[in-house]
Amino acid sequence: MSKQINVALIGNPNTGKTSVFNALTGLNQKVGNYPGITVEKKEGVCKLPRGVKAHIIDLPGTYSLNASSLDENVVIELLLNKNDKDYPDVAVVVSDVENLKRNLLIFTQIKDLEIPTILAINMSDRMKYKGISLDIDYLEEQLQTKIALISTRKNDGIDRLKELIANYRDLSVSACLDPSEIDKPYFDALRKAFPNQLIYKLWLVITQDVNFGKTDRKEIDAIASFKTKTSGDLKRLQQRETIKRYQFINNVLKKGKTIDVTQAKDLRAKLDKVLTHKVWGYLIFFFILLLIFQAIYDWSSVPMDFIDETFAALSEWVKNTLPSGAFTNLLAEGIIAGLGGIVIFIPQIAFLFLFISVLEESGYMSRVVFLMDNIMKRFGLSGKSVVPLISGTACAIPAIMATRNIESWKERLITILVTPFTTCSARLPVYLIIISLVIPEGRFLGLSYQALTLMLLYLLGFVSAVVSAYILNKILKIKSKSFFVVEMPNYKLPLFKNVALTVIEKTKSFVFGAGKIILAISIILWFLASYGPGDNFNKAEDIVTKANVSNNLSDEALQQKIASHKLKHSFIGIAGHAIEPAIRPLGYDWKIGIAIVSSFAAREVFVGTLATIYSVGNDDEDTIKNRMAKETNPVLGGPLFTLASGISLLLFYAFAMQCMSTLAIVKRETNSWKWPVYQLVIMTAIAYITALIAFQLLK
Amino acid sequence: MNTIIQNILVFTTMGFAVLFLLKKYFGKKPKSKKACGGDDGCGCH
Repeated sequence: MSKQINVALIGNPNTGKTSVFNALTGLNQKVGNYPGITVEKKEGVCKLPRGVKAHIIDLPGTYSLNASSLDENVVIELLLNKNDKDYPDVAVVVSDVENLKRNLLIFTQIKDLEIPTILAINMSDRMKYKGISLDIDYLEEQLQTKIALISTRKNDGIDRLKELIANYRDLSVSACLDPSEIDKPYFDALRKAFPNQLIYKLWLVITQDVNFGKTDRKEIDAIASFKTKTSGDLKRLQQRETIKRYQFINNVLKKGKTIDVTQAKDLRAKLDKVLTHKVWGYLIFFFILLLIFQAIYDWSSVPMDFIDETFAALSEWVKNTLPSGAFTNLLAEGIIAGLGGIVIFIPQIAFLFLFISVLEESGYMSRVVFLMDNIMKRFGLSGKSVVPLISGTACAIPAIMATRNIESWKERLITILVTPFTTCSARLPVYLIIISLVIPEGRFLGLSYQALTLMLLYLLGFVSAVVSAYILNKILKIKSKSFFVVEMPNYKLPLFKNVALTVIEKTKSFVFGAGKIILAISIILWFLASYGPGDNFNKAEDIVTKANVSNNLSDEALQQKIASHKLKHSFIGIAGHAIEPAIRPLGYDWKIGIAIVSSFAAREVFVGTLATIYSVGNDDEDTIKNRMAKETNPVLGGPLFTLASGISLLLFYAFAMQCMSTLAIVKRETNSWKWPVYQLVIMTAIAYITALIAFQLLK
Repeated sequence: MNTIIQNILVFTTMGFAVLFLLKKYFGKKPKSKKACGGDDGCGCH
């Protein structure tokens, strides 16, 4: 029978920890719904030599075991709780060959917890460019561990790492630092009061502000023979510990690592100078954004047209092949039409994530964070707020969770409150369909108007977030300290495997996460649009035929009028007409009103809803876009989707807080209903007012 | 007969859809002991 061991991947941010995780687990991984950065744990399974199976946990990046943010607590809580089902049999500390000194700090801390620890030195392929050489035997001897020199880029050393994990029982668990060196009397007293406990673990329990299950601080304070020091004294001891550890690391690296600068061929400094330049840096970032949005439009038009036509044909095939009746209609007009409204956007979403992933993998995104810090701090945000704001282009939920690494509560709260303004992928289907209907297809300087509009909407989201942050910074009277540290990883060619996994994961979570909700809502909407109360609905054929008896309508036109009459008197039609007075000033009809209400569950439901409603009210099998283009405004006449109503809708979705899940996560992260309620009310009011102004000015 | 079967299928599908949404948005979710959210008593706050 094969045995499964727990392996924890730990390391500083940007050491390629996730690449090591991908190399070990491949597709055998459970990845959370959280794009961009590692906030929660990622888990996977890896087959090791001799039939051993490893359960790998990719923990959030952390610089040391002295936690300063919420996601760092996850690491410490796991390492100090032997009763945790994920408690590691072996820890793999992933370090970057160029920053070995800093990376070894956490290695020595984990080693002192007497957990078998392997040191994986990543990015070994960069050693020749940097003139670095390592004496592995010497390092292994001094650090009392086994080292795997790896390069996830070249797929080198992964087998050696697997071999070391499989043989973890051979690893030494002796400590790197004797805690008595920090303060002998204090640690002697601690040892005397808790003779059976691991002293370094107790020290962490005393100094960290986290929950350690059975061994908590109250128990320690309750021991009469031992008194903990004041927090100021403890801080000083922590500093002394860090100094002692660096003294040890410096001594080890003095002989174990040498750098021949004459061999180094460094391009990084030159690139950094340009990419983080106070003028060129912003211009280059802007230019890259332009390219991305243009490419999203140019590359995805062919697959999108194909998907749209395929769903229209499938719907027609179902109607023609299956026996006619209510369920066949539900399949053709409800389920297929609703799903078609979401599947069509897969190409564009995949391309968007492809570009975001390439920017992150290449190391450029960290430069953007650094660049943006200059702007962010003027608006009351931290440079770290850029990460949630950029992650928010995928989904606001993980982005809001990613704010956990912002140390200042005020900056964190502001970031949580403004992140929903950034354009998430759920807005993308709404934007794309409206833009394709109301923005002309021409080009300006080689860039299509439609791509430019989409980019402007993304910028509008970002600017709204920043301006709101500025206002909140002035209004909120919360005092908290702030500091900003960003890791600048080396530039590297993105790994195809990492990029591909990101694109697959994000697209999959979009389709399957949102797809189930859209499918359910499409079914309910179809039902509500296909059934209704009273004679007006049930005797629609008689009523319409009698009313048009003198008009000599063709059979097709008569059927169209009957369908339209039924839809108007269906359950959904009645509800839609009830809310119409509120949305008519924005240029919308009752069908759009229903789509807005139903998309409160999730924004992308908007397109699926319209596709379903228009399918029920129209016998022609046509693409979603064509059906929407044919809709006429019941009050003004002419097309319903004009520049005025289109821009009004785009602005409504740019500002409205149309996402139940985001509200739930804001409640969880702020531990209060106050903030999500403020968000909902204020964002909806801004959305309504801007949409109203836009329509009234442009109509 | 065909009409009855089709209607039964429609109402069953509708029932499943409503149940799914109710469970999704109003159903109780089991709390993860590992989570470190604002109100899960993890002691981080």
